[in-house]
Amino acid sequence: MKDQTSYSDIWIGSEDLGRDEKFIDQASREMPDASVASMLAQGASFASANTGRRDFLKYLGFSVSAATIAASCEIPLKRAIPYVTKPDDLVPGVANYYATSFVQGGDYCSVLVKTREGRPIKVEGNQLSPVNGGGTSARAQAAVLGLYDTNRLRGPQMKNDGGHFETTTWKQLDDLVSTTLKPESRIAILSHSMLSPTEKQVVKDFQAKYPNTTVTVYDPVSSAAILRANELMYGVAMVPGYQFDKAKVIVGIQADFLGTWISPVQFAHKYAAGRKIADPKAPKMSRHIQIESYMSLTGTNADNRIRIKPSETGAVLGRLYNKIAAAKGGSAVNAPALSATLTEAIDKTADELLKAPGESLLVCGSNNIADQSVVCAINHLLGNEGKTVDLENYSLQRQGDESKVNALMTAMNSGQVDALIIYGSNPVYELPFGTAFGEAIAKVGLTISTSMDIDETSSLCRAIAPSNHFLESWGDAEAIRGHISMVQPTIAPLFDTRQREASLLKWIGGENPLFSSDQPYYEYLKARWAATAGSVASWNELLHDGVFSYTPASSGATYKDNLASVAAKLTQPGSGTEITFMETVAIGAGQNANNPWLQEMPDPVTRCAWGNYLALPVHFDGTRKFIAHENLEDGDLADVTVGEQTLRVPVIKQFGQTPDSFALAVGYGRTVTGRAGAGVGVNVNPWMKTDADGLVQYYASGVTVTGKKGEEDYFSCVQYHHTMGVTGEDSQSKEVINADEAATVYMTYGLVRQGFQGSLVNRTIIRKSHLDHVEEFVKDLQDERHHHQQLNTKQIYPGHDETYARGHHWGMHVDLNACIGCGACTVACMAENNVPVVGKREMSRHHEMAWLRIDRYFYGDVDNPSAVYQPLMCQHCNNAPCENVCPVNATNHSSEGLNQMAYNRCVGTRYCANNCPYKVRRFNWLDYNAADLWPINEADLGLKSQDDTIPYGADNLTRMVLNPDVTVRSRGVIEKCSFCVQRIQEGKLRAKTEQRLLRDADVKTACQTACPTGAITFGDMNNEEGDLSKKLASPLNYIVLEEVNTRSAVNYQARIINKAEGVDA
Amino acid sequence: MHHNSLKYCILLALISILFVGSSSAAPTAEAGKTIFQNQCAACHNKNMKDNLTGPALGGAEARWAAYPKEDLYNWIRNSQAMIAAGHPKATELWNQFKPTVMNSFPAFTDDDIASTLLYINAQFTKPAGGPVASAQPGGVPAEPAKPSKYIYYFLFVILAVVVAVLSRVIGNLRHLVAQEDGVTLPPQKTLLQTLTSKGVVGFLIFALVVLGGYTTVNNGIAFGRQQGYAPEQPIKFSHATHAGIQGIDCQYCHDSARRSKHASIPGANTCMNCHKAIEKGTLYGTQELTKIFASIGYDPSTDKYVENYDKLSNDEIKAIYSKWIADNYMKDNELTALDQKGERTVNEQWTEISSSLTNDLKESVAGPIEWTRIHMLPDHVYFNHSQHVNIGKIDCNQCHGKVQEMDLMYQYAPLSMGWCINCHRETEVKFTSNEYYNTYKQYHDAIAKGQKTKVTVEDIGGLECQKCHY
Repeated sequence: MKDQTSYSDIWIGSEDLGRDEKFIDQASREMPDASVASMLAQGASFASANTGRRDFLKYLGFSVSAATIAASCEIPLKRAIPYVTKPDDLVPGVANYYATSFVQGGDYCSVLVKTREGRPIKVEGNQLSPVNGGGTSARAQAAVLGLYDTNRLRGPQMKNDGGHFETTTWKQLDDLVSTTLKPESRIAILSHSMLSPTEKQVVKDFQAKYPNTTVTVYDPVSSAAILRANELMYGVAMVPGYQFDKAKVIVGIQADFLGTWISPVQFAHKYAAGRKIADPKAPKMSRHIQIESYMSLTGTNADNRIRIKPSETGAVLGRLYNKIAAAKGGSAVNAPALSATLTEAIDKTADELLKAPGESLLVCGSNNIADQSVVCAINHLLGNEGKTVDLENYSLQRQGDESKVNALMTAMNSGQVDALIIYGSNPVYELPFGTAFGEAIAKVGLTISTSMDIDETSSLCRAIAPSNHFLESWGDAEAIRGHISMVQPTIAPLFDTRQREASLLKWIGGENPLFSSDQPYYEYLKARWAATAGSVASWNELLHDGVFSYTPASSGATYKDNLASVAAKLTQPGSGTEITFMETVAIGAGQNANNPWLQEMPDPVTRCAWGNYLALPVHFDGTRKFIAHENLEDGDLADVTVGEQTLRVPVIKQFGQTPDSFALAVGYGRTVTGRAGAGVGVNVNPWMKTDADGLVQYYASGVTVTGKKGEEDYFSCVQYHHTMGVTGEDSQSKEVINADEAATVYMTYGLVRQGFQGSLVNRTIIRKSHLDHVEEFVKDLQDERHHHQQLNTKQIYPGHDETYARGHHWGMHVDLNACIGCGACTVACMAENNVPVVGKREMSRHHEMAWLRIDRYFYGDVDNPSAVYQPLMCQHCNNAPCENVCPVNATNHSSEGLNQMAYNRCVGTRYCANNCPYKVRRFNWLDYNAADLWPINEADLGLKSQDDTIPYGADNLTRMVLNPDVTVRSRGVIEKCSFCVQRIQEGKLRAKTEQRLLRDADVKTACQTACPTGAITFGDMNNEEGDLSKKLASPLNYIVLEEVNTRSAVNYQARIINKAEGVDA
Repeated sequence: MHHNSLKYCILLALISILFVGSSSAAPTAEAGKTIFQNQCAACHNKNMKDNLTGPALGGAEARWAAYPKEDLYNWIRNSQAMIAAGHPKATELWNQFKPTVMNSFPAFTDDDIASTLLYINAQFTKPAGGPVASAQPGGVPAEPAKPSKYIYYFLFVILAVVVAVLSRVIGNLRHLVAQEDGVTLPPQKTLLQTLTSKGVVGFLIFALVVLGGYTTVNNGIAFGRQQGYAPEQPIKFSHATHAGIQGIDCQYCHDSARRSKHASIPGANTCMNCHKAIEKGTLYGTQELTKIFASIGYDPSTDKYVENYDKLSNDEIKAIYSKWIADNYMKDNELTALDQKGERTVNEQWTEISSSLTNDLKESVAGPIEWTRIHMLPDHVYFNHSQHVNIGKIDCNQCHGKVQEMDLMYQYAPLSMGWCINCHRETEVKFTSNEYYNTYKQYHDAIAKGQKTKVTVEDIGGLECQKCHY
């Protein structure tokens, strides 16, 4: 059953495709399982008794008296506190932006940070950056919340005799270090990749004072094999600079380069440049073939997908190499055998690559040196060096080698290490042999961690010298050789912390004149810049722009044909079922686990939040059932055994998952962290093994998964929340049928009833085509749109068009070809608009509050489908169905085309949400922001579990992240996307102040600025010269649900793919 | 009628004064007053009799009588030049007042100076004790007092009693007449029976419900509004003195009003721009101004800012400012040592200063002055000062009242939504002078064709929810 398109075009999951009753029930109701009665029954606040008439009278009496008391009270005295000495560059109420860099180990993004009254509140991309070109990632967007993490240490910590941490002073901690460390001490520094050249200099200074210092670098998700293979093949240990924009054929093998691999923001930015259809008359785009074992974000965006088991990577690479070597004249390697299907697919992939010599690119995520050496060889044979593979401006984002940590551990165990400095890393959690490393820590005399909080590793150390958050730090970063990016503080340190570079400088000891300054590391950094790059850019210019580029000395990388020496070590195919360990877009390797914004962001592919879920392959039973291993269903718990360790894990049925293989994300199951992250999901790190070279392998063979052992508490998967009726009810037979099936049925009877007004069938949600058929597609699309527009020309509010023509008419354009589904926009939206975090329990009840969701639809072959992402926000319909059902006119239209929401008018009938065909309105079921005047309403939110009751945004520290220009909503009102009206008003005011016409750059929504690929364009539709008007002219545009005549203000540009025939497998 | 003609006379007089003042004809005291208030009053005492930062100006002409008139005029235009030239009178004054330097006014014409001197003389010779407001001729005459609404209530009650008494009298008389005629009427109801009759009780309940409902709704709507709110502030700061008498522009202190959503209370450093020179007030002497110094850490005894001031204890701070208060007390009373009354004064002043600058949450005297906030919009309202001040060119007085006459600041406007909306309905947009509004082509066309005479805020969407609520 290869192709299901005959009866089902797009689907969101197996329950939709298989027309599961549970799904149909949920989809048919706007707010399932969310009645007040069920809420009260589940919540503890009123649940003690059945609410009878007497109770009602009691509550009524209480509210009346409470209101009377409140009304008779005087308004509390409020203070207005001015500055003592107002800083010149700060105007209260006006935002200041500072250029800095988000650096988290090897993760990097050049950003601008918006501060209000000295508080950083929002991260934006830095348009001047040649690396990320103004784009950001979900992690960078959420980083600002990490600054206000209540779990952060308030000051230096030292363990007392009882083994418990006590807050101490920096002097005492420094005294401990200076008395312990001797010039001959054997010191080990354990760090993640360091992007900062100045920080590396500090480490060198430290080594000069303590010559027996070793520095060990590892990455939580390792690319050590790439470094070692490039050292072997090019003589330089590097991750080459991959130029996705210059490649016409891109092949990715087990590398989620759009979501998580090495530098996703940069890669996505460049990748999208080759994927956007600039001219629909002569459409051109790159071809992307993804070969992988699980459905990654990159895989969902690929034109062709070849499903392999993780252990088949070596065989695939060997086959690919041999085929290309045969054509290009290289010596063959001894490759393991592949199945016939895979062999055929790989051969065709090789043909595709051979069609584009010098304009193709192969990237691979395998952590096997031989595999990566073959990748080097293939790119060399294809002539991609210097073109799509940059050997000069290579990436420095991965510098670690975990095999060296093993050596360090051996030294620690044999007492050869006097002092260990855990330098911003968390090896006990992050490494497969973390537990053993934890035991080795006990054998070292002095152990100090520079961690910002108490984590799995720092909790085992003798002392913690907490470092600053990056938004409180000075520094620099060279993520790509030749491109420097600055780090500058946007706020003074909130707590008594000291950035780790300054700690190292302090521990060097002696009379360091730097320490007469308030900010010693700032002086160090500035002095180093004056010495090395003073002529390149003035200091202030450097801090203003945040980035500058220089031409580095030649890397000296030349190809050496050393393949034969490692070829025998290619990854060997395993037997039985296998499991892949992958990173998720949000949580990464676990550093972000305590960030509630990221925990609540649904994973783009599985659409699950608050945990890691075992992806199960789905089998089609030949009729209408999509069954998974052991008949497990979404949200069931199963026992997974790898080696000797068994974990109980919730499962999710995942299309595109390789048969007989599973996948589970790393980064979860943190034990020692704050309350958002602790105990969420399971930790898979102990399951991983290292290969002969000491490199961690991100898969395991011989895995067993049992049948259903229970059900996950509060299973939080938004896949079936707020669906737009892909399944619907046939108005004649009253049978629930699939959308396109309904259309087919009518066609069979010869009745042209397709897409009639208000029907649930054949809804215009996703429009897509193939690159080769764009011309016919455009014609069909135009016909369809014309037909829809003729169905009903009536307007609910006549005269509106005239009003819109008067001044501004705001609109948006979303390019589905550029959207990769990374979710940066959804987090940006939460940050910009004070959208609350509701927690796992509320999310499981469909109560998530996100104003912008990214719907993921599958289409094509059910075994190996393609996917398309659709960011869906309020469509600001001109014929808005929500407006005319509001009994209090709380939602209405502005003269500029905005669908307005007045929270203080809203009485919470939720008629609007019920009537919204796009399902974008959100109701505040509980007081998620603790914004209510009466604390009684804050009771029992049960965020992650019944015991976890205080809202995440309730404490004053976290509230510092709130955007002061946006109302914090309390319980009982509806909210939804406002097109960032606060930004619109700000932009208009800027234009008025400067006495000029509004420009595109004045108003950009938060989702638009966050997007790494430029998929979202916002603007004034009346401005004929604007960017938006140009995008709106594309014949590929369509309007979602145009047939229901909502006349929405958001245009989507249809998805075009460039699928090659016969490559899928 | 009489009132009106009086207004007319004043208006005419004002206009003629304006004309005379603006032409370069004869110097007048009126012109001098404007110059004095704008240019001199920051440093010279307005009573012309006491020294402030600069010397008392009363009798200046007499003091300079020994020299040619030009010398005094040049002195006023550029005192430093005269000192440098070694003019004897100039040197004498410099020795008395240095290191304070008088600003230069090279643009002053002879007439300007003559006018100012005329005004100075007039003020100097005027009998003391005139009310502050009298310095504002041409101010709007006080409105005639409205009779209190309680008079109406009182009259209503009297009339109701009269009606009741009269109806009783009529009833009694009717009974008497009936008795005379031999007709038997039903027995007359007693007052109690009347009051407890169904009709009256029903009416009372109805009236109570209506009145109660009306009051509840009205108070409910007004809940949280505080028009007329005039709390005591930590410093007895008078806008009447600063904005009124001294004529300091609103945006000198509230500078962010033109740049930001907030008008902002100025930081103590803004106060210090002037109060570094003016260290004592006319009404409260050292007490109130020392609060500014104690907030920011300026030691007026040494004319220097105290280093690491925020790290000092309250006792150390007390020592600094007690000395300053005591020194001034001794100087004012020509004492060489502090007497008992002096000690009491110092203690009283310090107690007041320290209680004004501290509260439950702020222990240290050092640090910001925590004012009591008067204008409070609810959190769900977005208001932007710069939009109104900078783009709309709305006068501050329109919403804040005559702040220049307020000794104690109060909330003038109701700040209710209805009040905002009404203004948006009527206010004309500065449509043609700002290029931004060229976006609204249709309105420009309509104006050109004469179909529209003005564009109000409402016309460009100023009444829509999300202009202020988001």
